[in-house]
Amino acid sequence: MKNRLLQAYKQAPWRVQMQWIGLFLLALVILAALAGLYLSINSKAATAGRSIQFLESNIEAINNNIAELTTDLAEAKSIERMKTRARELGFTLINPQSAVYLQVPGYVPEDEMVLAPPRVNIINETPIIQSAYKDSLWDWLAKNIWLIPGSSSEEGGVQ
Amino acid sequence: MKAPFQTRYLILTLVCLVFGVAIVIQMIRINYSPSAKDLIAKSEDYQGVAEVIYPSRGNIHDRSGHILATNKIAYEVGIDLKYVADPESIAFTAASLLDMDYADAFALASTAKQETDENRYFVLASYIDEDIILELDRLKESYYQRRLDEGTLTPSLSGLVWTPMQQRVYPENELAANILGFFNYFSRESAQGVYGVEETYNRLLTGKPESVYMANDPYLVEALPDIEPGASLVLTIDREIQAMLEDTLADAIDWSGAEGGTIIVIDPETGELLGMAATPTFDPNNYWDYEESFPGITPYNRAIGYAYEPGSVFKVITMAAALDSGVVDPSTTYTDSSGVFWVDGAWPIYNWDGGAWGEQDMTGCMQHSLNVCLAHIAVDLLGEDLFYQYVQAFGFGRSTGIDLAGEANYPLRLPDDNQWVVLDLATNSFGQGIAVTPIQMISAVAAIANDGKMMAPHIVRSIVDGGQQYDITPQIIGNPISAEAAQTLTTMLAIALEEEASEALVDGYQLAGKTGTGEIPTELGYTSTLTNTSFVGWGPTDDPKFVVYVWLEKPTISKWGSVVAAPVFRDVVEQLVVLMKIPPDEIRLQMAEN
Repeated sequence: MKNRLLQAYKQAPWRVQMQWIGLFLLALVILAALAGLYLSINSKAATAGRSIQFLESNIEAINNNIAELTTDLAEAKSIERMKTRARELGFTLINPQSAVYLQVPGYVPEDEMVLAPPRVNIINETPIIQSAYKDSLWDWLAKNIWLIPGSSSEEGGVQ
Repeated sequence: MKAPFQTRYLILTLVCLVFGVAIVIQMIRINYSPSAKDLIAKSEDYQGVAEVIYPSRGNIHDRSGHILATNKIAYEVGIDLKYVADPESIAFTAASLLDMDYADAFALASTAKQETDENRYFVLASYIDEDIILELDRLKESYYQRRLDEGTLTPSLSGLVWTPMQQRVYPENELAANILGFFNYFSRESAQGVYGVEETYNRLLTGKPESVYMANDPYLVEALPDIEPGASLVLTIDREIQAMLEDTLADAIDWSGAEGGTIIVIDPETGELLGMAATPTFDPNNYWDYEESFPGITPYNRAIGYAYEPGSVFKVITMAAALDSGVVDPSTTYTDSSGVFWVDGAWPIYNWDGGAWGEQDMTGCMQHSLNVCLAHIAVDLLGEDLFYQYVQAFGFGRSTGIDLAGEANYPLRLPDDNQWVVLDLATNSFGQGIAVTPIQMISAVAAIANDGKMMAPHIVRSIVDGGQQYDITPQIIGNPISAEAAQTLTTMLAIALEEEASEALVDGYQLAGKTGTGEIPTELGYTSTLTNTSFVGWGPTDDPKFVVYVWLEKPTISKWGSVVAAPVFRDVVEQLVVLMKIPPDEIRLQMAEN
């Protein structure tokens, strides 16, 4: 009788084997998925890293090019070269007695040299301490979990 | 009963276990082996390298934005020993293209074979022009093709590498070199501005270098921090005026046989220097030639770094003090009956020509530059307290504080000093026995041209930093005399020039000014026949827009300021009014009325 009961509860050996194989395959699939994810993220990170290196090198090359062109321009516009060009074009230095002065209505003399916008005092309206550092756990839950989408977090409130 | 294959499974498990344990043991052994540190260091080397990124040095512009100093790209050429395959070819190339000694280059390139753990990078040459780099690149490529064609390992320039770096460059060459100073860029770590604006504003121009980790491992790569370039400066000088002053000074020295000189132009209303020429000068692009151009104790900028006895131009200061204090007015007379003024009955003071000029009003005293008259004013009318009070109020005896490195200052000898005697008061009144720099002199005179308000002389107009422009506000540093006294003196000096029919006069423009002839002291006294000649003048007198100071040291064609310096002043002003677009007085006043 006892034997018969045991016999009734025992699974067939092929079923046990199938379960083990199933579990093993499941673990294998999970591992493969994790490995795949790991490889994917790593390859993306490596690609991003290479892109950063490439872009940094591009930035350096562009900056170098700008410096080179600035120097070339400055040399091309140097006073000696400008004088030479002026002489070649037939210009000569004027003497004050031969100068003719005309009053030109509406003429605005050269403005001050401006290489960049003037200094302005920027009043930063962003609060110095972010709300994340002041909120209680309850506030945070209220804003991030129960808040109705579309309403401002600063207006807050549980709805 | 044994399960089938049980023994085989057991053996396989044991083999795997032993293999696994062996791997672990080997890992532990490697980690604790004597070479572990080297291996770790090598692996770290391959991962990346810590580097200092130097921001590009700020540009320097003239007041119209023309670039006076900027940076260009040059290259550092070095040997990366990891990749060296053919030291002979590298050494030969370095010798032929980089002017290096073949043996030195070969020794460096061969280091890898003897000392593999030594530094793996050697600098062969710095600041190499792009043309040479292009030639190196072409050579490297042709060697590569040759190896491919012949199937050999040599010749090869593998391991010869170059990296770009910024080099300071002055596109105008010698122009304004005495103002700009220079940047000794050759040693990147210790490079700094020397003299002039480059030294004074070195920290601003340099910016803030940052240490960053440059990873080779792509997983560790991060974007480099955004490094702001150094601040750029806009100077007060106008390069057209500066070039004109330098050309005029060179011509004047050539013509007069002077040893050296300086010409300064300043805007009296703001204290802005519009131009400042001085000798000697040099090309800051070749700053290593500095010692050849400035031997011994030669000041880098004579206009600010050299004190001398100014002579009669200093009479302007004495007369300003006398007018402001009220001890004289233009009509006050002085009778020069003998051509000599006795100080304390012991020391005689003579006029420049040794003659007696009879009765003179104050304008006449200035017009004929009478030493005896000015000594009388200082000794008999002003007295030492009042005289030195005014001299100090005009800024003598202390630095002007101009924002240029290398300013000299010679202390005043005052009545409180043990060595002071009353003779000093008399001689100081006409600019002898007192040492001043040209910048002190022109700053003081500019106060007279600016209705008694003394402005701080300065060379930087704006600073461009972090994408914003900060304009420098002109500073009033004193009010040594009243506007009334200043205007009176301007009128007196304008009349004096016109009545003297001075060489300094310019048609169409009323100018005020004074000549100076300063004797040069030697160890034995004033025994030298050579002099310092000078002229200071300003105009237009009703609304002064410029003050010009000319100083020529030891001219040989004449010893008199009226002969040597005055014509140079005229040459400068004739060109200056055109460059500054100042019409003749008649036209200007007509335009003002309309």
